[in-house]
Amino acid sequence: MKIALPRLGNIEVMNETIITDMGHELIEIPPNTKRTLDLGVRYAPEYCCLPLKIVLGNFLEALELGAEGLIMAGGWGPCRFGYYAQVQRDILLDLGYDFKMIIIEIPRGNWNMLWENLNILRNGRSWSYFINQFRLGWQKILLMEKLENMVLSVRPREKVRGVSSRILKESMLKIKKAKNREMLKQIETETIHKFDENTDFQKQNLIRIALVGEFYVSLEPFTNHHLEEKLGYMGIEVVRKNTIEAWIGPIMRLKIFKDSFKEEQEIEEAAYPYLAHSVGGEGQTTVGNVVLAHKEGLDGAIQVIPFTCMPEIVAETILKKVSEDLDFPTLTLIYDEQTGEEGLNTRVEAFVDLLKKRRKGVRMSV
Amino acid sequence: MKKKKVGIPYALYFYEYYPLWKEFLTRLGVEVVLSRPTNKSILDSGIRSSLSEICLPVKVFYGHVLSLVDQVDYILIPRMVCIEKGAFFCPKIIGLPDMVKSSLSSICPIISPVVDVRKSYGTWKNSLFQVGQLLTENTLAISRAISLSWENFQKNYVAHLLDPKVLRPASLIEGQDSINSKRQWEEKPINIAVVGHDYLIDDSYINLNLIEKLKRMKVNVLTPGMVHPAMVKKQLKKLYKPIFWSLSRKAVGAALYYFENGVEGIIHLTSFECGEDSMVGESIHHQSQKCPEVSYTEFVFDEHTGEAGINTRIEAFLDMIRRKKRIENSLAPSW
Repeated sequence: MKIALPRLGNIEVMNETIITDMGHELIEIPPNTKRTLDLGVRYAPEYCCLPLKIVLGNFLEALELGAEGLIMAGGWGPCRFGYYAQVQRDILLDLGYDFKMIIIEIPRGNWNMLWENLNILRNGRSWSYFINQFRLGWQKILLMEKLENMVLSVRPREKVRGVSSRILKESMLKIKKAKNREMLKQIETETIHKFDENTDFQKQNLIRIALVGEFYVSLEPFTNHHLEEKLGYMGIEVVRKNTIEAWIGPIMRLKIFKDSFKEEQEIEEAAYPYLAHSVGGEGQTTVGNVVLAHKEGLDGAIQVIPFTCMPEIVAETILKKVSEDLDFPTLTLIYDEQTGEEGLNTRVEAFVDLLKKRRKGVRMSV
Repeated sequence: MKKKKVGIPYALYFYEYYPLWKEFLTRLGVEVVLSRPTNKSILDSGIRSSLSEICLPVKVFYGHVLSLVDQVDYILIPRMVCIEKGAFFCPKIIGLPDMVKSSLSSICPIISPVVDVRKSYGTWKNSLFQVGQLLTENTLAISRAISLSWENFQKNYVAHLLDPKVLRPASLIEGQDSINSKRQWEEKPINIAVVGHDYLIDDSYINLNLIEKLKRMKVNVLTPGMVHPAMVKKQLKKLYKPIFWSLSRKAVGAALYYFENGVEGIIHLTSFECGEDSMVGESIHHQSQKCPEVSYTEFVFDEHTGEAGINTRIEAFLDMIRRKKRIENSLAPSW
């Protein structure tokens, strides 16, 4: 079967491990571009959130390339993400495409569907091989994420502008090709060594900003207009608060019950005085992370939201109060299908200026 | 002793749950103050005090809360999380008490019991009990009030939906229990179902008096409230994946029911930025393509109150249906 996976940052590093090695043909979806967005926007409902539109664009491009199976994650609300696959399936069927939507989600009653979907992916290979490959894919994602997080502190200190992004890109290609864990280990040490060579350790006490907000927008560089790079080149150390590890990790470690995840508990406790109940998506996590960022002594936080996101709007409303109470600057950036970048640049620059002045002891009212 | 006053904002989920809370609180000897139906000053104050990106119904809710602040001792804003297996409320409703608390600085105490039937503390009985304890110390009275009001609410639930004298604007009731409803059916040849959330259909200020306008144009208006909950449940089984928002279930189930049951047109009401509607709207739209004989349209309401636009759209929609009928009639064999 010709299978395609939607894009999310560098998540494609695992595609070969879990698809090609299973005997499927992998349809490589082209990188997110304006065309992806335009395709998605044309067919998606107007008020649905941006990730749905871009992923729909991904699927349309994949189907043009001949994909027969589309893999998508699902969920059970209250965030709209859980319903994405259903809506996208409806839209694509209405457009007359013939395909199989492979939805991977924790089933509610419908265990058959999960079993069926896993069997399609397994493609007749043995379960032990399948699970092994899945674990290797997961290791790749963990390594990818580790390196991506590292680059956030290397980029503002790099000796030659742009070198760290280049190193990262090369490593991603290597991770993609890696066949076992030893190779991953090797790539890790190599990359870290390269990072160290290119880091100017003299630069200390940089301004640190927490990046919080919606999962997809904060992790997908095309969607957030390369916000991490932008801040990095301004000499800001970004601290990424959303990770794939925290998102899927509990399930991968067979800790299906959220409560057993310690970090999450800490975040929830931090958010409790302001938002006492989970509102789905990353709503409560965002509030908790901002409170924690203040405790950790970061300079500010940037919240990224796709336009109309339900949980994040709750968080945004509450962040105003959090920011006031803690005297902690926050900036909310809302992304929609408009691709003009200058407005964004101005706002980010102004925010950074504000943080720099605060460092110098100049108080300004926001 | 002076009676305690509890304010209930006339918006969002209270279109469904007002009867329960009203009876419960009244039985405890508390005076219930319901905010007035939405008007311009309520809408304006709501818009001014909330974020601009938030959806219209929440803005309206803010307005209702603000209109109550000076009149009451407490405001009731339950945190509705989950009332049935496998379904939640919208994230904004779950976070509603926190949102109101953090954006309105001077506000009287909020009573926000958690209703989450998955947890033992959040069953209806426990959350009603918690509210009761805040208002009186007589636990026996609370228990009695709970069981009585809950029973009545359950008993009347379907009746409330079918004949909602409690909260619906007068115009809707009038159409439903008019004496010669059979004759009316004949006189008004077009049946149009208006589906969507109760807080849009029943709020004649937000929907720019849509229901009344349709009636004046000789349309027989049907709403989700007129579909029996069991029918809704049955219809929802058709979907590829169950809908996990309680408030949308009724609207979608009713829409699917009407597609099959001989209405000429369906109007789906949505509000600006409503997250649920953007998704379920697509599901309804998908279904509508399977029933080409039923015309389908979607009206989006926002804080602008220009009526001309909506009038034009209603007229165009009705003209389309009438023309379609005429053509069908003229094509009929004439032997």
